[in-house]
Amino acid sequence: MILEYDAAIIGGGPAGICAAIAAGKNGLKTLLIEERDFLGGQLIKQTHRFFGSEEEHAGTRGIHIADDLKAELVGLSNIDVMTSTTALGYYEDGILTALHDEKMVKIKPKSMVLATGAFERFLPFENNDLPGIFGAGAVQTLMNIYGIKPADKVLMIGSGNIGLIVSYQLIQAGVQVIGVVEAASKIGGYLVHASKLRRLGVPIMTRHTIKKAIGTDKVQGALLCQLDENWQEIEGSQKQVACDAICLAVGLTPLADILSQMGCETTFIGELGGIVPKRTADLETTKPGVFVAGDLAGIEEASAAMLEGELAGLNAVKFVTGDERVNERIHHLKGELHGLRAGPVGEKIRYGLAQLFEDSVITSEKIDSHEHDITQLAHTGIPAWENIDEKMPDEQRMIKPYAVIECFQEIPCNPCVFSCPFDAIYIPKEDINLSPVVNFDKCTGCLSCISGCPGLAIFVEQRNPEQGKGTVSIPFEMLNRPQKGDVVDLLARDGHKLGTGIVTRILYGQKQDKTAVITVETDIELVNKVRNIQLQGTDKKGVM
Amino acid sequence: MRIKEHPILEFERGKKIQFTFNGNVIEAYEGETIAAALHAAGIWHYNNSDVLKRPRGLFCAIGHCSSCLMTVDGVPNTRICVTDAVDGMVVKSENRGDAK
Repeated sequence: MILEYDAAIIGGGPAGICAAIAAGKNGLKTLLIEERDFLGGQLIKQTHRFFGSEEEHAGTRGIHIADDLKAELVGLSNIDVMTSTTALGYYEDGILTALHDEKMVKIKPKSMVLATGAFERFLPFENNDLPGIFGAGAVQTLMNIYGIKPADKVLMIGSGNIGLIVSYQLIQAGVQVIGVVEAASKIGGYLVHASKLRRLGVPIMTRHTIKKAIGTDKVQGALLCQLDENWQEIEGSQKQVACDAICLAVGLTPLADILSQMGCETTFIGELGGIVPKRTADLETTKPGVFVAGDLAGIEEASAAMLEGELAGLNAVKFVTGDERVNERIHHLKGELHGLRAGPVGEKIRYGLAQLFEDSVITSEKIDSHEHDITQLAHTGIPAWENIDEKMPDEQRMIKPYAVIECFQEIPCNPCVFSCPFDAIYIPKEDINLSPVVNFDKCTGCLSCISGCPGLAIFVEQRNPEQGKGTVSIPFEMLNRPQKGDVVDLLARDGHKLGTGIVTRILYGQKQDKTAVITVETDIELVNKVRNIQLQGTDKKGVM
Repeated sequence: MRIKEHPILEFERGKKIQFTFNGNVIEAYEGETIAAALHAAGIWHYNNSDVLKRPRGLFCAIGHCSSCLMTVDGVPNTRICVTDAVDGMVVKSENRGDAK
């Protein structure tokens, strides 16, 4: 028997689900094929809140986005979902084969969206095959899906968003992260993620690399060395560290196997992750009616994958039905994607895409960060004082509570704007890539913005010069959450202990969604220095 | 080791089950992969490599790297990182170099 469909979607991650929803909503008889026995792809491991536009799930944890998408999918009766099903191949007669329950299924789709995702890159170094060397995704799977502690002491290789986010999640799972190693001179991921790690005491070693894993049957440590400007080892810089696991977060490569088998043309574009399909701005491959979306189309953030999924799904609708009514939404989605990619952090993807197709909105033009000099932040994860000063109100204003948004890098993100009930936070020129500004005339210090910031970069301060005291409110999402009245250690932006303070207030309700807001009282001179707290006696820092 | 407390997540574990790995009884929960259960039991060393007999363990956990292949209920080359543990299952290391 041959199953006939208007659209077959391969891959049930964020891109594939969004493609299926778009196709299904517009009347296509749609089949979604997923290899695993669950939908959601990598979303179901993402405990952090997403960056991006409020309109596209930003500010929501990945795990909840997965639930929302699945609920929407289930509500559409013209979408069939086949989990535990592996797509095998697509043949000249237009038949797609898949393996389900040990049996081969034949499908005849009028259009297809391939959203197979990506897999982790490996890194060459001595002993890199020892048990205890894990891909960052594997560690996430163990701890965030199955609730299994991946290791006790982890060394993270790679400071891209995955390396930084997984390091933070490891600490949430009770694992010690001894440090993050980065061969480049700058931190690769969003700097707010780096700052989160630094204030937990985790060192980030730029211009360092791993030479060797130490151990015979499993990892017992690592040999690191420093690199010069030409990426060569600096003599005498070797350093041995003890750890029981080494986590590799050195990039992803598109899973393009089925694409090649189908005969879609591919090309090598390093900026997009390696071998990627040739495709148009409408995500159509060299085979008419076959579209791609998500990491397969080029490694990018999940927020882009969801937009691309919908875009590919709508283009499949147009291909099958000729319905032009989807054009308006297609135009809107392209604009959203353009917005996400428009800033300095989108440079790599813009450069990659410019090699694939000409499009009025895609340029490889370099856009320098022009708002702040973030050199120190990019090298260390700790903002320079002059950066912080720019975010502060006048001294007279400091006697009433005010929000300090320590967001200096131009990244596409805006949930803070929507979190403020007093319209006190705005993004200049409504450019999602610019960093947010607080209008201190409107800010009441109500604490609403703290939990919703995906970078946990918002703090609320207040100073009382007469008493020489002040308060600072910080986001907190670790175990050992302090209680009101507790005396806690106060930690600086680099995780070092500044002194002690008393917890005067805790917000931990539905609105905070497990990102507690903890207010501590301390000496006035520490107010602008405290960026983390911990219960006394729970010290667990990086050691390098 | 299983995580008991987590600041963000709650883990709903299925029914307790058992399978054997190279003859040893391993406890698992329904819905867990074989690899997850082995990791929880502290087992990181899965196989030995074909030629040099170097130890092999989990790497990608999404069924793509082939580092975790084992014989499960007599079926060789099973990706234990994407195969759920089932009560009474028999899981064995594959040391394919031995056959040469």
